[in-house]
Amino acid sequence: MSKLGQVVESVENYNKFVLDQVKRARTDQKFGRDLLGRWNDTKAKIPVTRTPTGLPLPRLALPEIDEPGEIARFIFGEGLPGQFPYLNAAYPEMYLEPIREIESFDKNGSRSRSALDTGKKLTQPEEPTRLFSGLMLAEDTNERFHYLTRHQRTHRLSTAFDGPTLYGLDSDADGVFGKIGEGGVAIDTVEDMVRLYDGFDLGSANFSASMTISGPAPMIMAMYIAAAKRRFGPKVVSRLRGTVQADIFKEVQAQNETIFPIEPSLRFLADMVEFTTREMPRWYPISISGYHIGEAGSTPVQQAAYTLSNGFAYAEMFAARGIPVDQFGPRLSFFLDCGLDAEYIALSRVSRRIWAIGMRDVFGAGARAQLFKLHTQTSGRSLIAAEFKNNLTRTATELILSYMNATNSCHSNSADEPFTTPSEEWIRLAAHGQAILLEESGIFKHTMNMLSGSPGMKAVERAVEAAILNEFREIERLGGVLAAVEERYQRSQIQNAAHRYEQQIYDGTRPIIGLNKYRDNDEDAPEVKLVRTPRAKQQLQVDRVQKFKKKNAEKAKRALDQLATVAERGDNVFPALLEAAEVCSLGQITGRLQEVVGRFRPMV
Amino acid sequence: MSSPIRILTAVPICDGHDSAINTINLEFIRHGIEVIYLGYHRSVSDIVRAGIQEDVRAIGISSYNGGHIEFFAAVVDLLRKKGADDIKVFGGGGGTITRDDATKMRRKGVDEIFFAGTSLDDMVKFVHQRYGKPRSRRPRPQSFDQELAHKLTQIEEVYGSGNRKRPTPRFSRAKRALNCGGLTPLSPRTSKVIGFTGPGGAGKTTLIDELVLRFLHRNSKGRIAILSHDPSVVGEGALLGDRATMINSQHDRVFMRSMATRGQAGGLSPATHDCLALLAQSNFDYVIIETVGTGQEAMPFQKNGIVDSTVLVMNPDYGSRLQLQKIVMLDLADIVVVNKSDLQRARTAHTEIEQRLDQNRRHQQLVDTVAKRHRDSGADRLFELISDRQ
Ligand code: B12
Repeated sequence: MSKLGQVVESVENYNKFVLDQVKRARTDQKFGRDLLGRWNDTKAKIPVTRTPTGLPLPRLALPEIDEPGEIARFIFGEGLPGQFPYLNAAYPEMYLEPIREIESFDKNGSRSRSALDTGKKLTQPEEPTRLFSGLMLAEDTNERFHYLTRHQRTHRLSTAFDGPTLYGLDSDADGVFGKIGEGGVAIDTVEDMVRLYDGFDLGSANFSASMTISGPAPMIMAMYIAAAKRRFGPKVVSRLRGTVQADIFKEVQAQNETIFPIEPSLRFLADMVEFTTREMPRWYPISISGYHIGEAGSTPVQQAAYTLSNGFAYAEMFAARGIPVDQFGPRLSFFLDCGLDAEYIALSRVSRRIWAIGMRDVFGAGARAQLFKLHTQTSGRSLIAAEFKNNLTRTATELILSYMNATNSCHSNSADEPFTTPSEEWIRLAAHGQAILLEESGIFKHTMNMLSGSPGMKAVERAVEAAILNEFREIERLGGVLAAVEERYQRSQIQNAAHRYEQQIYDGTRPIIGLNKYRDNDEDAPEVKLVRTPRAKQQLQVDRVQKFKKKNAEKAKRALDQLATVAERGDNVFPALLEAAEVCSLGQITGRLQEVVGRFRPMV
Repeated sequence: MSSPIRILTAVPICDGHDSAINTINLEFIRHGIEVIYLGYHRSVSDIVRAGIQEDVRAIGISSYNGGHIEFFAAVVDLLRKKGADDIKVFGGGGGTITRDDATKMRRKGVDEIFFAGTSLDDMVKFVHQRYGKPRSRRPRPQSFDQELAHKLTQIEEVYGSGNRKRPTPRFSRAKRALNCGGLTPLSPRTSKVIGFTGPGGAGKTTLIDELVLRFLHRNSKGRIAILSHDPSVVGEGALLGDRATMINSQHDRVFMRSMATRGQAGGLSPATHDCLALLAQSNFDYVIIETVGTGQEAMPFQKNGIVDSTVLVMNPDYGSRLQLQKIVMLDLADIVVVNKSDLQRARTAHTEIEQRLDQNRRHQQLVDTVAKRHRDSGADRLFELISDRQ
């Protein structure tokens, strides 16, 4: 049985374990009494907060149960926020506003009030808002980054790259003119990387950079490190915080930006992970992503099942490399899509639970390595061109669902999503949408578990978990994730689901307001401001990369030879990539590595 | 009944948004259209070359990552430059292609742009109406490939879609088709013809593409032709997707043509024989023909036919030894390849097949390959074997 098969078993066993505990709590009196005691203790310790209207609310809401069996079902089956199996949340407090004034119950049940401005410092959490952006050239994106973070305490940047960069090509490559700086930022060299994050303190604890790129991830990562070293010296490396997506499986399954054959792609990924887990303890070297699977048209269950199974496959691979699970486990993070289908009421909750159980019981992971740390993005595909201002409502609804699932960070799409890289007008509304939900509204800031645990949510949880396990069984039957990928299993499932989705739109099964329902008039083309990269800018980037290559021609040759030798030998390429990133362009590195390991052969 | 409409679809370079085109492909083939799918991240020259060689009625492009005005125009211009402007261009890109863009694009020669929110039915209808009528006069071919492509179309159209009977005499039929364009006489037969067959999923396509890569390296001038097949039912469409995976074969020295079987059993199309005959006489160093992944009860290539050598590509997971007994092809193929020889069962497979070949006493060769691996030594060996065979 492969690891995935074992994961299925571990979840089934865990569910049995929960039932056993329920039974035991009802039959074994001492056990039952102990549980009840603990439960009452926990409840007593929950601080009470006051809303602006003066309503007292507990900082954590728990089900109103006092029967030991039900308590066992909750404690073991769901867990308190921040406790195994983490159904409710990965951390105890998430987006709660810092406590200004709390009331708490002391042992004998009387209330006491205390102001918290004495002694302990208020530590404000990082804002969960993280907006994905990238446009034109490095300096343009840099400007956008400064615009987006101007009101934020913490600077969490999320970088979108343009097509040529995503495919590991230089801006002067054949046939790519026209695509430079479109849909993301054009990055060819370390010099661009320096410009991209100019003005941000890369080594600061309040800064983190996320880079959404997978095929060329090891090269881009090397360029990021090189840029940081140029600006802050070599010591900065161990302090760098951020994420690089680097998810090869989902590229092959859904996003289509793989540049080397699967096996060497995975090998270079593991090389990078080996390096960062050792040298960069605050870096997340992979973001295991279902977003692109969902956006390519999969069902929510497929999205979660493929993402989790990909995650377990990576865990297996890193473990086989000899990296201890408690070293790489805490450095894994996840990225899911949130759309409007009913599954999204609990999709991430269930995913968090399955991940924790599998990591603990199959991989022997400790607590920190069990956490499914999640970034969510609202669905881009649910946003449509017809009457596009409705997209604001769609995104708002998805935001509520995302935060109901206790996501750790979130991107909200702009309403102009169907047309263009968002312009400032719409991106501002998208950011404000999150602020309104988290800061203005009282839904998420006073109480953890505010919306968890409704009967409907539980029904969705059960149905979704069962369906995910079924998907795991199918993948296991095909010989595991890699074998299934090579057979195009996930791809064909996603494509069929996507086809059905589109058919349902046009046969009316899926109401899309303003498109197939309540459509009043065939509106003229909406007025949206397009963000496009002028030709002159594109040419500037071409000139830059050519100048760089000319300037470094000699050194580049040596670095590339060295890289090829290491790759040929099968050693860890990352140190050689770090050298190469100083003097070579992205395209030069891609080209040279492709000579050694070949090019990716796309799947239909 | 006339032949199905043939359309090429693709996604531009540096763009991997293939969800829309995958859905549209599926919808087209359900409505009787044959779709040659070139895949995503494809350059203008790859698209135009494929369009000309496949001699499609039109090229559908799905573009999302920007630069569409330039890209579509470049495709139209290159088609025009190659004298192939009877191949039309249409496409879409959701909301990224605005109405203003579309107007500009139409002015530059694009037939139609489909906006976000267009129903799948409307697109199918458009293709049937716009590209469904027989082509009137073809322009004079301006290149060897174009001429060849036109001739192949004529042959396929002579057979139509429902014609399952073998027309007699076979050659005269093809010749008639060939002569109706007033074309240059055929050159004497020069090519080596190699037939590839084997079950679906054995990796034939990948293996052929690896051989093509080796050929292009070895030989700086020579040319190769590939005739590849995908299954289809009479009167229905087909997805012809080999080009998308055959990255090395998208090359000016490779002439590739994808055919649907149009209801014929056995892994080839009713028109295959004549098309192959034509290719074999067209001065290629090699002509490679690949059957659909079929059962292996019978040999798809005739004995003493046009095919010089036959290669059977097997998957080590064929099941038990008993299953092996049923594979008649094992007695007839000149070369047997066990691909995916990195799989656990490959050694057993090798031994079992070797025993069977020994019994045959026909000097058949057995090669183990891992086609997906770059510079695989097994594929090198297969290439040498094929090059050495007379
Ligand atoms: C799905 C999606 C993805 C998925 C793609 C999955 C896949 N395998 O296809 C994922 C998440 C992977 C993705 C990634 C990226 N995406 Co994207 N994506 C989208 C999204 C949300 C929907 C596109 C879609 O498939 N719609 C479904 C189809 C069926 O409907 P439709 O688009 O309305 O098309 C209709 C017609 O136009 C017509 N049609 C379309 N093509 C064709 C072709 C022919 C021949 C015909 C007849 C008709 C036709 O058919 C449809 C039905 O009516 C759009 C935004 C949006 N809401 O439209 C962004 C969008 C296209 N993406 C964008 C970007 C920038 C990217 C990235 C570059 C982001 C990055 N920097 O990393 C990457 C690059 C991916 C890559 N490999 O190239 C931008 C493009 C911006 C621009 N051009 O200015 C958009 C507009 C979002 C945005 N506003 O930023 N994306």
